Amino acid sequence: MLSWSSLFTIYSILAISLNLEIGFTGISNFGKVAFYGIGAFIAASFGIWSFLLVFRLAYPLYGLNTIIALGKIAAANPLLNVTVFFVSISLSFIVAGIFGYLITYPTLRVGPAFLGITVLSFGELMRIFLRHFKPTGAASGLMGLPHPFAWINDSTMKSALFVISALAIMVIIYSFSQRLVNSPYGRAMKSIREDEIAALCLGKNVLRYKAQVLFIASGFSGVAGALLVFYTGFVSPDLFVTSVTFDIWAMVIVGGMANNRGAILGTAVITFIDRLAAILNFIPWFPLDPNILRWMITGILIIVVLMFRPSGLLPERTLKTPAWETIGLGSKAISTMERGRALVSFLFKLMIKIVDWFKAGGR
Amino acid sequence: MIAELLNTLWVSSIYSLMSVPLTLSYRVTKIINFAHISFITYGAYVAVIFSLLLPLGLIETSLIVFLVVAVLAVLNHMLVLSPLMSRGTNVVTLMIASMGSWIFLKYLLYALVSSAQKVLRVDLFYVTPNIAIPSTIIIGEFRVSTFLLISNAMNIMTLLFLYVFLMKVKLGRAMRAVADNAGLAQITGISKNAVLNATWILTGGIAALGGLAWSLSYYASPELGDNVILQVFACSVIGGLSSIPLTFAGAFVIAFAENILIAWLHTYLGLDVSFRPFISFLTLLLVILIRPPAGGGGGLPYRFKLPFRGDKKRSTS
Repeated sequence: MLSWSSLFTIYSILAISLNLEIGFTGISNFGKVAFYGIGAFIAASFGIWSFLLVFRLAYPLYGLNTIIALGKIAAANPLLNVTVFFVSISLSFIVAGIFGYLITYPTLRVGPAFLGITVLSFGELMRIFLRHFKPTGAASGLMGLPHPFAWINDSTMKSALFVISALAIMVIIYSFSQRLVNSPYGRAMKSIREDEIAALCLGKNVLRYKAQVLFIASGFSGVAGALLVFYTGFVSPDLFVTSVTFDIWAMVIVGGMANNRGAILGTAVITFIDRLAAILNFIPWFPLDPNILRWMITGILIIVVLMFRPSGLLPERTLKTPAWETIGLGSKAISTMERGRALVSFLFKLMIKIVDWFKAGGR
Repeated sequence: MIAELLNTLWVSSIYSLMSVPLTLSYRVTKIINFAHISFITYGAYVAVIFSLLLPLGLIETSLIVFLVVAVLAVLNHMLVLSPLMSRGTNVVTLMIASMGSWIFLKYLLYALVSSAQKVLRVDLFYVTPNIAIPSTIIIGEFRVSTFLLISNAMNIMTLLFLYVFLMKVKLGRAMRAVADNAGLAQITGISKNAVLNATWILTGGIAALGGLAWSLSYYASPELGDNVILQVFACSVIGGLSSIPLTFAGAFVIAFAENILIAWLHTYLGLDVSFRPFISFLTLLLVILIRPPAGGGGGLPYRFKLPFRGDKKRSTS
């Protein structure tokens, strides 16, 4: 349960950040995994290197001795450990955000198809680069990052504390993105999604908006990567394959685009399928590899949801701005409650008219 | 030097076989089809499995591979893309749907291959098709790989066929008409559905031939398509996702960069050979920066500033 909830938190941060991009601004980011991986690697290398530098340890980066020594240090210095946790999370936010901002320069000037291709290739490139990059342990990755709450002896308590802090971060990100999309900025984002040229003609700087959104969303995925590293304690380039991007996309599509609550619900659905596959793994007579089955289900789920319920489980809601209130009930996109209220008031007016008609003597 | 040049030719022919159909399908249907990656992998595996079951020569294998994967591509169109298109969904949604079918097909292949491995009791990961061909032949003083000749011959024959088909045959000309303006083409009586089906047959078949060429030269694995994503997309972007000759040229450029340029950089600048994919990615970025495909991918062409400079009107398409 605890492990599920930590994975759920990490993935819901990713889903919320993807929702900011595709749901609200219409940037088809197929390279989510690159920013996730950047965040993870920044956090891991910052954590390990800072410990090694502060204590002037000359251990090799990748080895059993290093892991043991780091664990001892972390258990002895709670304050330093927590500081490293929060500093590396903020650092990975900034670095992943900067990467997200930089990738916009060549790609946002072309259409969504080229953007998708380029960012997808960027994700693959990142993985290949990390596989050959020596300072982060090349193909084997980095190991031995101590748990942020390593000084607590009780292991359940330790993971519970981790889940609570991750949930706190998720709540911050959720409320931030909720505030963002309900602000005038969010409405500008939606206008860009609906019609770029119209937004341009209204004086919105489309490119700058897209770049800023990519900065924020990539930063959030970097935070998710950092949390993953602190949760598992190790990181390797092979964790960040293209399939992870599919997973996040499936979450957003199943839950409902342009609805943050929907993104979280979609995360719950997909992580539940993931857990189910993990349980199936223990059944020896099961004919197929459950992992393969899980991915096939994810693929079919994407297609089926797009075909039969394109708005997802929780569809997008209308924003209740003051302007909307004054315009009144003109559009089809009103909630059922609003519709019921409109029906009641319509019936009431009709009754009054009928009464008037009778009063006037049926003329 | 000659060996490197030959290697470049070899790789470029395979990349060309893989990326020309991507350009073709995008030009006609306006969909970035990520399931294309799966078509390549399926091409390799259909060859591997059929050549194990039946004693086949090269030509029969190519025909079977072409047909099977063409059927797969048409099925993908009929079951996934066409229902969505008839509902009037936008480009991004179609891209996501094709991504869904990519992931489904990829893991379906994993399931099929692992069960075939159990049934046939043969190792099916990292293998080449079981076709009896001598690996090298001697031409004059040189010992040349047969697979180089085969993949080049496949590539040249495909390109010639595409040229004749698109320029002379009625269906091919209809295809070009649909690619330029689908609405106008339908007004003149062209059946869009038939054209789309023909496009998917060609796309799936040629991409599968690319996979076959790759598996003959190197090996087949379920990750084959995923390993060449970057290169294939880079080739197609060099072609602007619209021009088949330019895509062919792009395949040559990418192969050149990956074989000869990296060797030069290695000797003169001490760059590690494993940084090969970077060159492809840099080429892709450079092409997008220098020669952005205007309005490409259905987006806003950010070259819109050009027509307003001066009175002379310039079209952005």
